[in-house]
Amino acid sequence: MQGVDHGRAEAAVNTPGRPDLQHVPVGLAAAPASAGIHQRIDPATPRWLLPLARALMVVNRGVMVLGMIALLAAALILTSSVVTRYFLHASTDWQDEASVFCLVGATFLCSAFVQAIRGHVGIEAVSSLLSARVNRVRVAIVDVLCLAFCMFFAWKSCTLLYEAWSEGQTTSSSWAPPLWIPYLLMSIGMILLSVQLFVQCVASANSVRALEGTL
Amino acid sequence: MSMLALGALFGAVTLLVMFSGMPIAFSLGTVGVLFMAIFMPASSLDTVTQNVYEEMSSITLLSIPLFILKGSAIGRTRAGQDLYAAMHVWLGRVPGGLGIANVFACALFAAMAGSSPATCSAIGSAGIPEMRRRGYSPGFAAGIIAAGGTLGILLPPSVTMILYAVASEQSLGRLFLAGIGPGVLLVILFAMWAMINYQREYRVAKRNFEANGTESPLLLDEHFTMRQRFEILPRVLPFLILLTGVMVALYGGFATPSETAGLGSLLALVLIALIYGVWRVKDVAPILSATLKESTMLMFIIGMSLLFSYVMSYLHISQSMAQWIVGLALSKWMLLAAVLLLVIVMGFFLPPVSIILMTSPIFLPPLKAAGFDLVWFGVVMTIVMETGLIHPPVGLNIFVIKNIAPDIPLGAIIRGVIPFVALMLLTVVLISAFPTIATALPDLVMGPNAHAN
Repeated sequence: MQGVDHGRAEAAVNTPGRPDLQHVPVGLAAAPASAGIHQRIDPATPRWLLPLARALMVVNRGVMVLGMIALLAAALILTSSVVTRYFLHASTDWQDEASVFCLVGATFLCSAFVQAIRGHVGIEAVSSLLSARVNRVRVAIVDVLCLAFCMFFAWKSCTLLYEAWSEGQTTSSSWAPPLWIPYLLMSIGMILLSVQLFVQCVASANSVRALEGTL
Repeated sequence: MSMLALGALFGAVTLLVMFSGMPIAFSLGTVGVLFMAIFMPASSLDTVTQNVYEEMSSITLLSIPLFILKGSAIGRTRAGQDLYAAMHVWLGRVPGGLGIANVFACALFAAMAGSSPATCSAIGSAGIPEMRRRGYSPGFAAGIIAAGGTLGILLPPSVTMILYAVASEQSLGRLFLAGIGPGVLLVILFAMWAMINYQREYRVAKRNFEANGTESPLLLDEHFTMRQRFEILPRVLPFLILLTGVMVALYGGFATPSETAGLGSLLALVLIALIYGVWRVKDVAPILSATLKESTMLMFIIGMSLLFSYVMSYLHISQSMAQWIVGLALSKWMLLAAVLLLVIVMGFFLPPVSIILMTSPIFLPPLKAAGFDLVWFGVVMTIVMETGLIHPPVGLNIFVIKNIAPDIPLGAIIRGVIPFVALMLLTVVLISAFPTIATALPDLVMGPNAHAN
């Protein structure tokens, strides 16, 4: 499966690291369903990084499954909340929080997958004005900045997780679930996202270097 | 550093980073963290993640993924085509009925799915080819779908409305209701234009036929039997029941908005399983993964926008700008016009979610001080942002249509869309002159707005 996907990635001649999705303009919602939903490895990824890139694809796929389950779970929990309150007149104190945990978890966990398919939209108005050469450099710089930010965020998530864990922090509701649960999901998600960005950064830098080689 | 210099620096850095093409979420986060590091106490950096988590962990905001799930469940099936086909056979006899059917189908679908691009692709993939087959000019057909699709962010449940409710601390239920009146007004105006333009194209076709015998499918008559009309209903009714059921659950006091989202998405999944046989893992997984992809992207923008606004407000940039706007002592309507103009300009580049979260702290206090009802303003701002979805350079819906019908030239699409942009702006004027178009329904259902001054 991996081999097949990778083969397709090698065959696809494209702007480095930028699947077609790049041209989807900024908007409220993502592109129509047909736009790239499949991960592919940037052809400019150096050989030594390929095992990591492939491993990430597998991890991302697994994490997406978790995200799907969390999404369905949230829908079920909220529905059960309406039903139990209406028919059983039971109090519904934990449902909101449980669904928040599911949905926050799904959001952070899936962020690496979304980055893998370059699904985090940006303003691409400038890219069409620049030459392909300058664009590669721009993409590389942007990737490095994103990596720096996400690494910082991942680091701070981990310290937050450590505090919540060691101090036994809970939310302030009557149900009072431990806060390390969402913080753990946030930390894992941000670490995955940082690793994903690292792989993409190296690939972008590599493609800039390849460009210099052709001069 | 003076307030003005700080504000200018903040704005300039934001623009620079955003236009570098960095994903919006990360650019907002980067700018926020950068200014935190330089201008705020060192300890504030330690709370960045906690801030983002606390802002994001609101169940109102997190109903967004569930509303998206509901939309993509419906959008991934033939529901759009069926809805469209039903409208078509029922409106077949009205002059321009096909165009009107498309407008109505877009509106209904938008109300079920809550997403503009999803509406465009669901209705447009059946509607545009059909309209062209029946002789409508390509630009006109594209314009109807592009404009009809924008109703997704105005009619409940709309993601932009959810964000506006959070940013402006207004009641979400009230905002949803306030969108309905203007939404209906827009539907009527769009339908009228569809009829007028149809008759114009019909006359041109007829003249051509009389002059040189050029046949046009526009001149053909179309008939549907009563049997055809009733056959289609069973496929559409369940979704209309879902639509009304969800509204009843929300406004009958049975469910909170977020519970409505959960309930609605689950019901949508059950309905598509029953009606379209979409229940196997391989059928449902693409729906879920498309939802996750879209909602993750959106929730990241939202979380980082909130961090961005937090920094802006901690550094008193938003407050000073708000004060500065108040200090201009513009007349009430000049203020509104200036704000809306800025929203239009931002709409060239930014998705509605970022516009709302970035500008609310700046614009809402002066508007409130000037005596505007913030629920009403939410509706007006949404309509203005709708135009951003269909005008160049980034109009998202235009690109969706380019995807469905790649052979229609961009110029034709844009010419087809412009009358609809004009109608939207006309609606803004009408709602400004008669605010009750928006506020009457929420006042009727929920009592007068306590927040209004």
